[in-house]
Amino acid sequence: MHRGQRISFAVTVALVTLASAGSPAASARVAPNVFLQSADGSMVDSSTYRGKVVLVDFWATWCPPCKISFPALDSLYREYQPRGFEVLAVNLDEERRDADLFLAAHPHHLTVLFDPLGASPRAFGVKGMPSSFLIDKAGNIRFTHMGYSGNVDENYRREIAQLLAER
Amino acid sequence: MTIITTRRVLFIVVISAALGSGCATVEPWQRGRLADPAMVFDADGNQVAYTTHWQEAREASSGGYGVQSGGCGCK
Repeated sequence: MHRGQRISFAVTVALVTLASAGSPAASARVAPNVFLQSADGSMVDSSTYRGKVVLVDFWATWCPPCKISFPALDSLYREYQPRGFEVLAVNLDEERRDADLFLAAHPHHLTVLFDPLGASPRAFGVKGMPSSFLIDKAGNIRFTHMGYSGNVDENYRREIAQLLAER
Repeated sequence: MTIITTRRVLFIVVISAALGSGCATVEPWQRGRLADPAMVFDADGNQVAYTTHWQEAREASSGGYGVQSGGCGCK
């Protein structure tokens, strides 16, 4: 392999690694303030979670990896919730019935909110499903994840622990 | 005169149809209907995989599905 090829191979590997793993936001940006519908129909203002470490996850029932990540995120929530961690699982199904059927079959503790019109993923700049955004206590997006495989659970743990440790 | 006007109208209609239709941006969260199993072109994915497998193994059709194959049927 020539030197040029080696360099381009290394760059490709680095880019793929960055794209697949949880990546620190290039420059921490303030999380957009969004309004989401709760299960009982009331509206929730995302800014009310300021002061906590929040994972905002965008998911839908038609997206297989989203369905795999759902119980994993619920497990993370139960693990770190006592330390001030919140998970907002924002469902983006157009038909609420699809989400309700899934949620009935998957008991959970995390907070599920609904945005069938998709205003919140647009505000966050979602590029693929599922996407999650880890927000620090000051309200800045610090880590983003796109896609899901079980391998990233440890990354989530490390990132959540880091943000929880901050003042 | 009437023929020219008709042709002009027809031209405008055709051009408008060509330019006005077509591309729409589908955001990642709007792909629920596209992801529906009913949207696949082939009714039976397993059948298609099987058919493709033995058809690709034929020497003459080697690479016909965009993948090189030696014709040994061992792919």
